[in-house]
Amino acid sequence: MKYLIMCEGSNEKKIMDMLLENGKLKVSADDLLGRIIYHARQIRKSPMVMGQLRIYGGDVEIWRVGDKQTDKLDIPAEFRTKIKKVTKFCTLPELEILLILSEKKYKEYEKGKSQKHPKAFAKDNITINKRRYKGETGFYEDYYGKDINKLVRALQEYKQRNHAHKSDEHYLVEILNGL
Amino acid sequence: MKLLGVKATGFKNCCDGFCMDFIAKSKKTSEDKEYELLEIDEGLYAYGTVGIVGKNASGKTSALELLDWCYDILSTFRLSGKKSDYHGIHLEVLFYEEGFIYKYVTQLDNSDTLEDRAVFLEQKLFRKKYYKTKLKQIMEEEWLEKCHIDGEVPEDFSIVFFVLKKSRIGELFYDLTADGAEGYPATFKFMKLGDISPNILTDILKIFDENVTGLKQVDDKNYILTYQGVEKSFSNSELFNFLSSGTTKGILLYIAAAFSLKAGFDLIVDEIENHFHKTLVENLILLYKDKEVNRHNATLYFSTHYCELLDLFNRSDNIWVTHSNGKVEISNMYEKYGIRTELLKSKKFYQNAFDTAVNYEALMELKKELMQ
Repeated sequence: MKYLIMCEGSNEKKIMDMLLENGKLKVSADDLLGRIIYHARQIRKSPMVMGQLRIYGGDVEIWRVGDKQTDKLDIPAEFRTKIKKVTKFCTLPELEILLILSEKKYKEYEKGKSQKHPKAFAKDNITINKRRYKGETGFYEDYYGKDINKLVRALQEYKQRNHAHKSDEHYLVEILNGL
Repeated sequence: MKLLGVKATGFKNCCDGFCMDFIAKSKKTSEDKEYELLEIDEGLYAYGTVGIVGKNASGKTSALELLDWCYDILSTFRLSGKKSDYHGIHLEVLFYEEGFIYKYVTQLDNSDTLEDRAVFLEQKLFRKKYYKTKLKQIMEEEWLEKCHIDGEVPEDFSIVFFVLKKSRIGELFYDLTADGAEGYPATFKFMKLGDISPNILTDILKIFDENVTGLKQVDDKNYILTYQGVEKSFSNSELFNFLSSGTTKGILLYIAAAFSLKAGFDLIVDEIENHFHKTLVENLILLYKDKEVNRHNATLYFSTHYCELLDLFNRSDNIWVTHSNGKVEISNMYEKYGIRTELLKSKKFYQNAFDTAVNYEALMELKKELMQ
């Protein structure tokens, strides 16, 4: 059995790549379909994922990583018997909530959250080495790359603070190693 | 150095102005940047994979050979051993090197003194500084800035030398129809040149034949094969007879790919599906799309009759379709056919959207004859 990790954006993929590289996930590259994490919203729209699913003969469990993930995952007929389970891992309302938690600005964000989404808040308030966050993938690498535990702590705190997940919306902390 | 395009007149059976370019044209999604595109400079995207499709005898091989010629000029500054008449061929080659886009223009002719070698006539080399914000403008503007050529070269030597300076491996042209027994020395040559780990060879052997767990070269003509755990000595031709044709060709192709991916040069494969299980071909294409593997911007150019392989492409501007009506013509799938990326390209092929279907009437004529 292999895990297929599908991230809905390149920032989510970066986060997951860093966790994988640093051995923070419950799974290793050996457990992953094609040994990598994918940037893909839907199977059918990702030739990379389609290709790897065709090559691998065994069963597959999908982990979807994104914020709301309101779009249902459409599983092509040829893979319906192979894909045994699909689990959603969410960072609500947006991935930038992790940066806000790491910056200890959650309370500040909470006060004005009706006016400002996490992404906009992060763009206004979060910098690293005087570089402002602009939504780019490289920022996550610079921010968490040297201290992966900072990311782990943010994921833990996110679960403690956020109780808005529905029953099918899991927390990323659930797939962290040793937690 | 990255090849960005070529325009040829008088080349083999191709039409005048036969032209291909390899700069991303259609919308670039973040997924495409992840898997389909190679960022050569900021905002300048080439492709990790380029497919050429068309009917039999439509000119796919000619298109790949033209690329091979370009790479020979750009990497060794010479053209030789092409078993071709060079007379009257006009080439325009577009390439990128260290912040500049260059256009090299030349007329070719046969050498009077050097057999099977081309001479370069009326050579010109232009350049433009690459700016992210001005890519379209750069490509459309006239090429006015001529490169300063400081020196002279022999007539069989290209002046691109003055820009690229050092000969290098620009690409490997892999011809699956070539003599199979020659594949073994080539395999070990690539391993040596590319400093490819023997573990990679072991992994490749396992993919193609589970009974084979080791292959060592004694010298250019003798090998030791570990088959079902037992070491056996073979000459080149004995080994070729012992192993399946697919295994022999697969070992060389995958080692060539490993070399190309490691060193970041391009690999050209004619009729990539020949001799291999579909999965092995798909896997090779996916390796070039995976940035964890393709870390040095290598491109896989291939021709195929197997249109399902194109379903591995998320874009259509990196697919070229050849047609021959006396002369070979080539069209870009995105520019000429404008198909939506979400549509399966193989389905469009079977609907004959690209006029590439096998001649049904000819098939039935044959059947009719066979039935009599």
